[in-house]
Amino acid sequence: MIKRANRNSDRFTPPAKLLHNLGLFLLHLQTGQQAALFFKAVASLFSSSRSFKTDSRNIILQTFFTGVEVFPILFIVATLFGTVVIIEVITMMGKMGFSDVVGSLIVVVIIRELGPILTAFLIAGRSGSSLTTYIGSMVINSEVDALATMGVDPVRYLVMPGLIGGCIAMVIMNIFFSASAIVVGYFVTKGAILLSGNALNIQLTWTYLSTEILNAISLSDFVFVILKPLVFGAIITTNACYQALNIQRDVRQVPKATSRSVVKSFLYVVIADVFLSVYYFVEYMNNLSTLI
Amino acid sequence: MFDEALRMEDIHLAYRDIAGAMFSKPRTLGYFRGEETDPQKELFSDVNFVVKRGETVCIGGGSGQGKSALLRIIAGLVRPTKGDIYYFGEYIPPERLTALEVAKRQVGMVFQNGALISNLRVRDNIALPLRYHKMGSPAEIDEKINMAMDLMRVRDEADLFPHMLSMGMQKRVAIARSWAMDPKLLLMDEPTAGLDNYNRRNLLPLIDNMRTLFKTTIIIVTHDLMISKELDCNICFLHRKKLTEPKSFDYWLNSNSEISKELFRDLRTSG
Repeated sequence: MIKRANRNSDRFTPPAKLLHNLGLFLLHLQTGQQAALFFKAVASLFSSSRSFKTDSRNIILQTFFTGVEVFPILFIVATLFGTVVIIEVITMMGKMGFSDVVGSLIVVVIIRELGPILTAFLIAGRSGSSLTTYIGSMVINSEVDALATMGVDPVRYLVMPGLIGGCIAMVIMNIFFSASAIVVGYFVTKGAILLSGNALNIQLTWTYLSTEILNAISLSDFVFVILKPLVFGAIITTNACYQALNIQRDVRQVPKATSRSVVKSFLYVVIADVFLSVYYFVEYMNNLSTLI
Repeated sequence: MFDEALRMEDIHLAYRDIAGAMFSKPRTLGYFRGEETDPQKELFSDVNFVVKRGETVCIGGGSGQGKSALLRIIAGLVRPTKGDIYYFGEYIPPERLTALEVAKRQVGMVFQNGALISNLRVRDNIALPLRYHKMGSPAEIDEKINMAMDLMRVRDEADLFPHMLSMGMQKRVAIARSWAMDPKLLLMDEPTAGLDNYNRRNLLPLIDNMRTLFKTTIIIVTHDLMISKELDCNICFLHRKKLTEPKSFDYWLNSNSEISKELFRDLRTSG
């Protein structure tokens, strides 16, 4: 018979007690619990019950669900958004005589900042919320409990495919978003110019636009095109699963959890975006001396 | 000690712990929360319970006495506020007491509403834990599923979704799913509730077969006191926050205790 573990923490030495209290404090925060859930989901990838066939099938299904079904809306949003940005930037900058920053502005607005964020918003609104309702109703019907009593880890069976699938879909959708915002946006702008009888009075050609953009884009942008959506996807899906698993056994909590999932995803995504953008701020500060 | 399937010592459960494990929260939080000492705020206090291997025990009691909560504690879904639990003579310390850990000891549970996964067909529902734990080759798993479905007579419904089935069917599929895992200890929450008389009479021999053929230890939580008579097993009651000693059906029928007066009055007058 194993001796009972002593539950009180009075025996701890002061540094241990400090760490203990710090850990408990972090785990009491919602963000800390979400981080714990995220790490648990990642760790469950390597659990003994892994099977490549089932896992890849689940992940591909989840990627399809997250990514492909949101594509039509995302395509339209990206195209119109790209059109607006191209028209505004080119007319405004041409008027003010800053024609040489057109490329950098398009890169900053579409590829660097708003592309990933709008993609994340669309995916949070559509796939994050449906993930919350799906897992939430499983919690209500005690299906999650049933999974656990069968020895099937709910974190592995439900959260992990959503997490990985969400990240993959976010990356692909983000690339689609930026590409269609620039390429299709260019053609729609051309169409708008044709329809309005050259009212905008701009000489816009594909060569001009593409050279400007290619000159402005840097290697770090290519890294961030992959990194940002990965972070956002992880945030959205972890948050969605967390809110769902957090539901008390009460049906009215499901819609509440869904709206919490979407709104908090927006919040966390924007906060994470600011933190990721610190990289560019640092770069800018370092180059300040050369600018002045 | 080693012929025991389950031993519970001095189990207390406070009302605030009933909701059970949240898979979103780390286990540590519940562990370091401190103990509830106010007996007024406890659903039951000082429950001691021992089940021998191969034995079948019923747990009865009025509504709201915490029968299902007790079963959820045994399944590891709820961590008791205080107390020790031994599975097959092995002590699981409270910091590791989770449903997944308990399920490793081959403890199966049948929920009151079946709790089938609603987006999987009956066949896949039964196969899910087997495939997850890789219990044998695909051919073996198929054979096992067919056996389980034959045993519970749900073979014809193999390709239907759970929402197409009646309550009784769902319950039988749930029992088949638990059986396919070869549990050594099977927990059943109201197996006969919502079943008609015909299905109920069919179900009881199946439970009987399970314990004689496979030596499964079974704990049944039920309102249906006649089960214990028909299965010829002992029955104990949760009453006034305590669990009574397991005694036979006839003992309760003829005893003069408060429980007998409350719960066996109808049975006495009728028979």
